[in-house]
Amino acid sequence: MKPHSERSRDLLLKLMATPVRRKYFETLRRMLGPSGLISIREEQFFLVLAIAIGILAGFAVVLFRVAIASARIWLLGSSLHPGWPRVVLVPAVTGLAIAVIAVRYFPRVRGSGVNQTKGALYIYDGYIGTGTTVGKFVLSALAIGSGQSLGPEDPALQIGAGLASAVGRWLKLSKERLRLMAPVGAAAGVAAAFNAPITAVLFVIEEVIGRWTAGVLGAVVLSAISSVVVERWFLGDEPLFRVPVYRLDHAGELLAYAVLGVVGGTASVVFVKIIKSLRPWLRRQPQWSQYLQPAVAGGLIGFIAIWYPQVMGAGYEWMNLAMHNRFPWELLGILAGLKLVSTVLSFATGTPGGLFAPVLFMGAMLGGFVATVEQQLFPAIAVPVGAYALVGMGALFAGILRAPMSSVFMILEVSGNYSIILPVIICNSISYLISRGFQEVPLFDLLSRQDGLDLPSLEEEGEESILRVEDAMHPTMGRALLGDEVIASARGIAASTQEANFLVSLGEGRWSVLSREALLDPAHDDAEPVRALIRGRVPRLYQDQSLDVALRFMKDRPMLPVVHRGNLDLLMGVVSVEDILRAYRRAGLAEPETAEVS
Amino acid sequence: MSEETANCTICRQPLGANGRCQHCDEDRHIWTIEDWRPLLTLALIIVLGFSFTRLVVGVFNDKQSALAKDFDAAGNRAMDERRYAQAVEAFESALVYSHDNFQYRMKLTDALAASGARSEALAQLHDFREQHPEDAQVNLKLARLEAKQKHVDEALHYYSDAIDGVWPDHSDPVPQKIGARLEAAEYLIALGRKDEAEGVLQAVAAVLPYASLQEPRLAALFLSNGDAERALGIYQAQLNLNKTDGAARLGAARASFAAGNYATARRYLEELKPETEESAALRVELERMEALDPFAKSAKGRVRTARTMAAFHIAMARLAGCGVPFAQAMTGTGKAAAAGDPAQWSGFARWAEQLSPLMSENKLRGKDDVIESTMRFAFQAEMAAQKDCGKPTLDDEALLLLARERLGAGQ
Repeated sequence: MKPHSERSRDLLLKLMATPVRRKYFETLRRMLGPSGLISIREEQFFLVLAIAIGILAGFAVVLFRVAIASARIWLLGSSLHPGWPRVVLVPAVTGLAIAVIAVRYFPRVRGSGVNQTKGALYIYDGYIGTGTTVGKFVLSALAIGSGQSLGPEDPALQIGAGLASAVGRWLKLSKERLRLMAPVGAAAGVAAAFNAPITAVLFVIEEVIGRWTAGVLGAVVLSAISSVVVERWFLGDEPLFRVPVYRLDHAGELLAYAVLGVVGGTASVVFVKIIKSLRPWLRRQPQWSQYLQPAVAGGLIGFIAIWYPQVMGAGYEWMNLAMHNRFPWELLGILAGLKLVSTVLSFATGTPGGLFAPVLFMGAMLGGFVATVEQQLFPAIAVPVGAYALVGMGALFAGILRAPMSSVFMILEVSGNYSIILPVIICNSISYLISRGFQEVPLFDLLSRQDGLDLPSLEEEGEESILRVEDAMHPTMGRALLGDEVIASARGIAASTQEANFLVSLGEGRWSVLSREALLDPAHDDAEPVRALIRGRVPRLYQDQSLDVALRFMKDRPMLPVVHRGNLDLLMGVVSVEDILRAYRRAGLAEPETAEVS
Repeated sequence: MSEETANCTICRQPLGANGRCQHCDEDRHIWTIEDWRPLLTLALIIVLGFSFTRLVVGVFNDKQSALAKDFDAAGNRAMDERRYAQAVEAFESALVYSHDNFQYRMKLTDALAASGARSEALAQLHDFREQHPEDAQVNLKLARLEAKQKHVDEALHYYSDAIDGVWPDHSDPVPQKIGARLEAAEYLIALGRKDEAEGVLQAVAAVLPYASLQEPRLAALFLSNGDAERALGIYQAQLNLNKTDGAARLGAARASFAAGNYATARRYLEELKPETEESAALRVELERMEALDPFAKSAKGRVRTARTMAAFHIAMARLAGCGVPFAQAMTGTGKAAAAGDPAQWSGFARWAEQLSPLMSENKLRGKDDVIESTMRFAFQAEMAAQKDCGKPTLDDEALLLLARERLGAGQ
């Protein structure tokens, strides 16, 4: 029997035999590759695949949200205020079950999932086991549904990445592409969970990829958008929060928001410091205690929830109430504090679940608290509680998760309210700066390092000094040779210097390098143009390009021209391999603490 | 084979002898799908995933709707039983499962207001209004809450917006707009802003459809605003349509009574069968008033003088009940115990002193001027006492009604 591909081709040729259809099949045949099968660039295929990943991740996240809500109803009952025995026992018993399953069968599902996904990208060539994805789905749904103080967004990120990884492996993508599948799926997961595609793209760049790289940006955007389309198809396009209409009446009000930035930054530092200390301490405890830790955390949260049921689960409904001024200032303050304690308990014990929602909860309560206190202290200032709660969310997001751009866009997207951007930027910046000032390593990097992984960080990368061509180049001794001048003139210039190589300007921004030997070659007549000696062109460099780029172009070339961006024939200097190495040595980068190859 | 087909369609490099692009294959930047099955399977997975997700979400939504309805019913029960805190909790739970449901939100604001959390209810309603400023229901609820908070300007502003607002699509807006106007008029009457209320009521009367169910309410509001004539006109129109309409007949009796047309009022009451508690009370009031009215057509001779003397004694008793010490007030030396203007009480005392010797059947018989002066004294004394003294007796009320009829409501 003929192989599948040959049978397809035979069928095609038979169909083409019909004269009327010949034209159409000729077009079709052009679309088909040389072997009679569709051939497209892997980059193009990757973009198409990103859409498919987005759709699948959208399905997964919709089902995940349904699973969380169903688990909540099933475990805690349908009322907003379940009875106290249920409130205490359910999180504890479910925590025990989750710990047993997680420790024994799915060790990689513990925690939020963000740093695990980053690890998959940088360490495991994009591999996230199918078991891990399924385990994350089930155990996170149980944990959040049972009232652990965790949210669904980070698990959705890992579920999306896991799905993408599984599809990539199944389609036997190249290692390079498979590695990039993780962020593509992660963006789809976060986008669907938050109903916020821009935030998802930014967050994946800031926290998962950790680098501003355009290579994967298109696929990440496509997957995020397609997952949001799916999510809205099934769950509607209502924003996550119903935010009261906000208007900034006077610029002086921004000062009042700045206070919230300070409070949010301080709370962020406290939260991260506690996680930083408590998580390794709990991990050092005997193995048997690992089974009990989520149960104890669940029991303690349940105990708190007897009086303050708001601390359980993601708590979006309570955030909405806080935004609508439904809580007195005392309760807002208490809830912010208790949520911090509950989230630390749930997260540090390794219960699967995310930090996004609890962080937003703390921010909303803290924002509402600051607003109500300011209302009492300064009755003359307009202090809308809803706007403060919203801005507080951004402040905590920026301070704890240290993703400043995501934090701004997240507030805009989840609220659908763009008039609040100025207070958000001010408040988030203050919170972010305070957090950076008192806590050097961002939370997710801290968690990775506690797990023994050292992953790239956008924040740390931004602080590294970048060496540029202008740091290494040196000026030319004389003028560059021109392609159209006669060899005799060029030889005269060569005779006046000791240079071994000469740059030749060929016009229209084209350059070449000519060795002294080639120039003095007697086989060429003096009257011939220099152009006759040229055997190839060399790439040009600009002063602002990094030395890393310059090194890639150097190959075995003795030097490269550095030209003006506005006039490509204007030589600013030259750079050689020796110049570049000298610049690196000067900057002390020859032996970095952590050597990385991009 | 054309020249085109000799080159790779992707990278335009010449094809090898086997027809494959060596350049592409070597550089691995071409994705050659040699086996369609994975892609077809992926497409199938998407289709199946869509179907499965739709099924699950459908079942879940049904479950959510059922839970929301259960909590809504529980909330309604709690409201009926005046367990407002439980109602708030139930409606909040209903909103967890149906967070877009406008009616649940409205009920929650009602429950919040009823439970005493008026500011929370107001905050919620203001949020809705910011999102849907034209929503008449929201504006009406806001008006009611602001009225309860004694924020008169805001309440009237929201009533106005409710009247001009947009009502739900499935309902007829005309009766709802009229209802909002009538409610606004009721609020104005309660505030004592009778002219504005009259304007609103007349506007409603102009647009009210023929035989509208709102007519009785409009008539009642005209009546309570002091416009008995218009009220009577509406009741009579209703009776023309349905002569057995007991409510309209009672209303007509009330309107006639308020207009001082006792004979007509009595006629309506007599035609009202069977007699109700309200009509009986009105009849008693009417009879008491007639028993005190010396100017009634049926009152002649002895009856007339008897009614005049009775009115005088009722007014004297009322003044005495006010603490007017007649002897001291007449000399102007003592302190008047009653509130208000002491000179006024002295005047009444002197007037009473002049009339007192004339209060006998013989001295009153045929003396219409004395009878008229005595009744004027009685009316004015009752009206002055109404302002500054305590609750009137039934006889006092009857005299007051007579006074309004004879002297006019403004006096």
